[in-house]
Amino acid sequence: MKILVPLKRVADPDNANKVKIPAAGDKIETTGLEWKPNPFDEYALEAALRLTENGQTPKVRAGEVVVVTFGPKETEQTLRAALATGADRAIRIDTTDDKLDGDLVARALAALIEKEKPDVVVMGKQAVDGDSNQVGQILAELLDWPMATFAATIKEEAGALVVSREVDGGVATMRVKLPAIVTVDLRIVAPTSVYSTKTAATFKYNDGVRFAALPAIMAAKKKLLVEIKLADLAADQALKVEYKAFQAPPARKAGIKVKDVTELVTRLKNEAKVL
Amino acid sequence: MADQTNPLLDDRDLDFLLYDVLHAERLVELPDFADHERETFDLLLKTTRRFAREVLYPAYKPMDESPPVLANGRVTVHPMMHAIYPKLAELGLINASRPASVGGMSLPLTISTAAMAYLMAANLSAAGYAFLTTGAAHLIEAFGDEDLKATYMRPMYDGTWTGTMALTEPQAGSSLTDVKTAATPTDRGHFLIRGSKTFISGGDHDLTENIVNLVLARIDGAPPGIKGVSLFVVPRRRPTREGLVDNDVSTAGVIHKIGWRGLPSVILSFGEASDCHGYLLGEPHKGIGYMFQMMNEARILVGVSAAATASAAYHESVAYARVRPQGRSMKQRDPAAPQIPIIEHADVRRMLLRQKAIVEGALCLSLATSRYADLAFHGATPAARSHAALLLDLLTPVAKSFPAEKGFEANALSVQIHGGYGYSSEYLPEAWMRDQKLNTIHEGTTGIQSMDLLGRKAVAGGGAAIRALLEEITEAATRARTADVPVSWIDAVTGAGAAVAAITAELGAFALGGDVEKMMLHSVDYLELFSVLVIGWQWLQQAAAAREGLARQDGLGDFYEGKLCAAQYWIFTEIPRIPALAELCRSGEDSYGRMKPAWF
Repeated sequence: MKILVPLKRVADPDNANKVKIPAAGDKIETTGLEWKPNPFDEYALEAALRLTENGQTPKVRAGEVVVVTFGPKETEQTLRAALATGADRAIRIDTTDDKLDGDLVARALAALIEKEKPDVVVMGKQAVDGDSNQVGQILAELLDWPMATFAATIKEEAGALVVSREVDGGVATMRVKLPAIVTVDLRIVAPTSVYSTKTAATFKYNDGVRFAALPAIMAAKKKLLVEIKLADLAADQALKVEYKAFQAPPARKAGIKVKDVTELVTRLKNEAKVL
Repeated sequence: MADQTNPLLDDRDLDFLLYDVLHAERLVELPDFADHERETFDLLLKTTRRFAREVLYPAYKPMDESPPVLANGRVTVHPMMHAIYPKLAELGLINASRPASVGGMSLPLTISTAAMAYLMAANLSAAGYAFLTTGAAHLIEAFGDEDLKATYMRPMYDGTWTGTMALTEPQAGSSLTDVKTAATPTDRGHFLIRGSKTFISGGDHDLTENIVNLVLARIDGAPPGIKGVSLFVVPRRRPTREGLVDNDVSTAGVIHKIGWRGLPSVILSFGEASDCHGYLLGEPHKGIGYMFQMMNEARILVGVSAAATASAAYHESVAYARVRPQGRSMKQRDPAAPQIPIIEHADVRRMLLRQKAIVEGALCLSLATSRYADLAFHGATPAARSHAALLLDLLTPVAKSFPAEKGFEANALSVQIHGGYGYSSEYLPEAWMRDQKLNTIHEGTTGIQSMDLLGRKAVAGGGAAIRALLEEITEAATRARTADVPVSWIDAVTGAGAAVAAITAELGAFALGGDVEKMMLHSVDYLELFSVLVIGWQWLQQAAAAREGLARQDGLGDFYEGKLCAAQYWIFTEIPRIPALAELCRSGEDSYGRMKPAWF
């Protein structure tokens, strides 16, 4: 099976240097930020690796995982990290962050998929910076492929994937014929979430995503990483989403102590407006 | 549970020390490191820090609470360590700094030290299994024949087996020349080993199918003293055509320790049934010499573990001080006003800044010393290599003892900041303080480091080592001047350098005049003043790099300002102590010199 996994880097929220908004409020200041892969994309990569191996012998690849990202040269570090983790090949679509929206990303990915012809696209359900949750859905529409969003488990069958999705009030299980788009949720990296046809049903993975061994990081330097111009995939680079202004959420106020129940009720009613 | 938000080490600080201060990216210009680039360094560090935080750190407190147990003659370690070990081995840090010819990746020690610091800060005991194995396997790599390398070094480097250093005996700890373990030659090539060793870290466990002990022993009839001690490879189980068989190594006891409690320290008995095979490493009677050739790296690693242990506690106390409300500011008289976080109190900031100055000064020194080790072995020219070797030898006793001694003080400050809670085992600072204490003891006590520094290193080559140090300080001063570090800061450090050179010469003159005892009486005070200078030099370099960063306006202003305050703290509160300590060394003040055992 050949799987395409789109990756996005996001600002690391744990880093001391936080995202800042300049006084003009017209953009997000990215100078000095530390980047990390979008966690849902890392889960997607882990799911894709599990689908292209026998869990008992993960060093033997049984399929191909191609990772792709959009961005300037420095985003190749995100791709190299994915290659070290086990992805087979990488593609960087050269552009800058401010020239993208979900629609353009989906159109470019659709064009790339025409060339690469993967059996399935496994991607994060959304990126944790914009939280748009759009690209997978737009992509499925553009390709007219079946789609399963918010996947919590995936089992490979001949020519199809059985995907369970966490929905309000329970789990919806569906079979999608390949080729298909699957967007994954965080439980996809639980020990029994993903099974390729090669992995025994009794096998249990370690919880979470796998770590790249240090020698694999060196070996990843020899794996293929190609650059494609965004213009070669999308002639029309007009954006449909326009950012009007950015605003930081209001800082949390300190708590207060109330005298009695009456004051509590009054404040909940008049200030918090929850009663 | 451990506080999962503790970063253990500050990633930005590691980047700052490696690249802004030490320019570690330039190491890739050396042919032996040409396979690397900064991007691979960064990926390696990212992977290791994530492994440390997500895999090792959650197991730290459980492993501290339930140490290994000895039952039916074998040691069983914590179940969480069983889950960790295969991943730790697979991570590949055990042989990362070794060349490809022995399966490694020729990673500069500067980078592998930084990576190891994360593992140590997260879980010292778990990291111990890895770095003890590295040290033992490296000895086989350096001095073993091809057979020993293929049979033992390979499976150790890939983590299939672990290694130990089995040196200490009940009567021979710091004094290794007094070991009694005997080695009797046989006509089949191997020796029969007989004796007992104690405090053997990792000497028994149930993580791997075999454990390889490097054992100091005397060949029958060997001359007494240091020139009669040989080094042997003594596996727990020896490989035969039928597979691994028992090698008559047994566990006589497990030590109940106050720290490093996830790593068993055991008493080993060799040859109780006269069937313990040992394989001579290198030549007979040269064992101690071989050990010493590996000493620099081992001592640097102890310093790193000390800096890392102090770092974890420092970050814990900063986070605590930010959220713990207690008291009001001196200007606030209204008792109804809300309490302020204790970090608002100047004295708490004093304790935090002192920890920061110690931790980040010690880390900088650990990495700087590792860099000299890289240059000593892989430098571009013979002159560059010998210059770096001189500094490596000179700085190693400081890189070992300063993080251990002052790290313990920093760990105690972390307990202090946590107040009564810090004294409770519900909180982590007391555990790190217990761990830290070992670092002033093992791999040469502080007293031994001070004798190594003053008796050997500082006076080496007729003062060549001190001159090399002064050159480095002058270079740092030049950089600091260019970066607009205040002149008074620079003068304080260069002045201290001159003072240390002067007292070194004076003490050396005592020995030349035949009074070695007077020279060495205050060796620990000398180590202290020398360390204050060396850390002052580290802070001068950091101040210069911080000023350069501020000039770049790269959005990290708070980080650089913090660096400058810590540099100022060290330069103006510690460096002034140097003249008083020098006076003590010079005076020959003899209170403990003339004190008799009977008077205690």
